[in-house]
Amino acid sequence: MISFGHVNKYYGDFHVLKDIDLTIKTGEVVVIIGPSGSGKSTLLRCINRLETITDGSLTVKDVHLNDKKTDINKVRRKIGMVFQHFNLYPHKTVLENIMLAPINALGISKEEAKKTAEFYLDKVGIPDKATSFPSQLSGGQQQRVAIARGLAMKPEIMLFDEPTSALDPEMVGEVLDVMKALAEEGMTMVVVTHEMGFAKEVGDRIVFIDQGKILEEAAPVEFFENPKEERAQVFLSRILNH
Amino acid sequence: MDFSILVDYFDMYWDGFVVTLKISLIALIASFIIGAIVAVMRITPFAPLRWIGTAYVEFFRNIPLLIIAFFFYFGTPALGLEFSGFTAGTIALTIYTSAFIGEAIRSGILAVPKGQMEAARSSGLNYIQTMRIIILPQAIKIVIPPIGNQFINLVKNSSILALIAGTELMYQADLISAKTYVVFDVYIFVAVFYLIITIPLSLGVGYLEKRLANSN
Repeated sequence: MISFGHVNKYYGDFHVLKDIDLTIKTGEVVVIIGPSGSGKSTLLRCINRLETITDGSLTVKDVHLNDKKTDINKVRRKIGMVFQHFNLYPHKTVLENIMLAPINALGISKEEAKKTAEFYLDKVGIPDKATSFPSQLSGGQQQRVAIARGLAMKPEIMLFDEPTSALDPEMVGEVLDVMKALAEEGMTMVVVTHEMGFAKEVGDRIVFIDQGKILEEAAPVEFFENPKEERAQVFLSRILNH
Repeated sequence: MDFSILVDYFDMYWDGFVVTLKISLIALIASFIIGAIVAVMRITPFAPLRWIGTAYVEFFRNIPLLIIAFFFYFGTPALGLEFSGFTAGTIALTIYTSAFIGEAIRSGILAVPKGQMEAARSSGLNYIQTMRIIILPQAIKIVIPPIGNQFINLVKNSSILALIAGTELMYQADLISAKTYVVFDVYIFVAVFYLIITIPLSLGVGYLEKRLANSN
C-alpha cells in the first residue's frame, strides 16, 4: 500500500529523514514512535506529500508521489489525515466540515454528502453536534469530528499525526476508542503517537525513529518487552517508568 | 453661513453627490475583487505570478493617485483610447485602491493558521478551491477593519477626480465657487455631503466587524 525506498529528506543542510525503507501493507496499523524532533511527523507527512522528499522513492498504491506527472489531489482523496491541532474549519458547522471535501473534491451531491456526514458523525459518537461550530466543541469532540471528516472521503489509508497530544487527559480515551474501532474494521493506519498503551494494544507493528533514522521495527509485544536497540531501551524506560 | 447657496445650487450638489456615490460604489466593488486576486497572486507558490502581483502593488501604491488619473485621462488618447473624466477617474481610483486592499487581504491570508491550508489540501481540494472556500472567508473576517479604512479613503480620494472633470462632488463645488465667488461656505457644504457617505460606511464596517466577531 505504502512503500518508502531509500528515502532521504533535507531541510537545507539538515538531514531530516535518513535512508528510510518502510513498507506498509493493506489493513496494517503501523505506529511510529520516537523522541521529539526525530522526524516521525515529517515521515508521516511525506505520505500525502505535505512534505516532499529529496531523494529515494515513495509510492502509495504503486503511484510515485515524487513524480511530476502524479496528480497529487487524486492521491490525497484516498488518504485521510488527522492533525494534532484538529484543523477544523472554524467558519463552517460540524456537518459542513465533513461534507466539504466530498462535495468539492469528489463532486458528490449535497444530499448524499449530508447522508455520509451524518453516518460518520454518528459513528464517532456525536450526532447531536451536527449544527454546532467547532469552537463550541471540546477538544475530544473536535478531534472526533476531524476523524469523521477524514472518513467521509472513504479513504483507503488514514494518517494520524499525534492525534491526542493537544487534548486534556480525560479526552484522550474517547479519541483512541474511535481509532481502535477503525483499526478493527481493517483500515490501513499510520499513527504517530506518544500513547504507548494504544501502540501496544492496537498496533500491528512499531516503528521506532531517532534522528531521522528507523532504528527498530518490530511487533508491539517484542518491541515493548524486549527492545533491541539501546536508544529504544532508553526511550522506553524514560516514558514508561514514571 | 450662507444657506441660500445650498438651496440655489442644490441640483449641482446633488448631481455631484450621485456621481461620487456611483464612482465610489463601482471602485469599491472592483478594487475589492482585484485586491483579492492580487493578494492571492502574491502568496501563490508559482513565482512568476508572485512577481506580477508584487510589481502591481509596489508600483500603484507608491505613485500618487492623481498621476494614475492623469494617465487614464490625458495619456490614453495617445494609445487610441478616450475615456470620460468619470471613466478614467473610476479606473484610476480602482487600480490605486486595489493595491492597498490587496496588501490588507494578503496580511489577512497570512494570519490564517497554516493548518487550515494543510487540512484542506490533504483532503484533496486543489489550491484555488482551498483559497476560495477555506482561506479567503477567514482572511476577510480578519481584514474588515483595515479594508473599511481603505473604503473610506476611497470615497475621499474620489475628490481629486475634480481635476480631470470627474463631474463628482468636488468638481461641482469648484463650479459653484467660481460662479458665486464664495469659497468657504461652498466647501463646507460639500464636506457635509462627503460625511453623508463616509459616516454610514464607517458605522457599517463597525457593525460588520462586531457581527463577524460574534459568529466565532
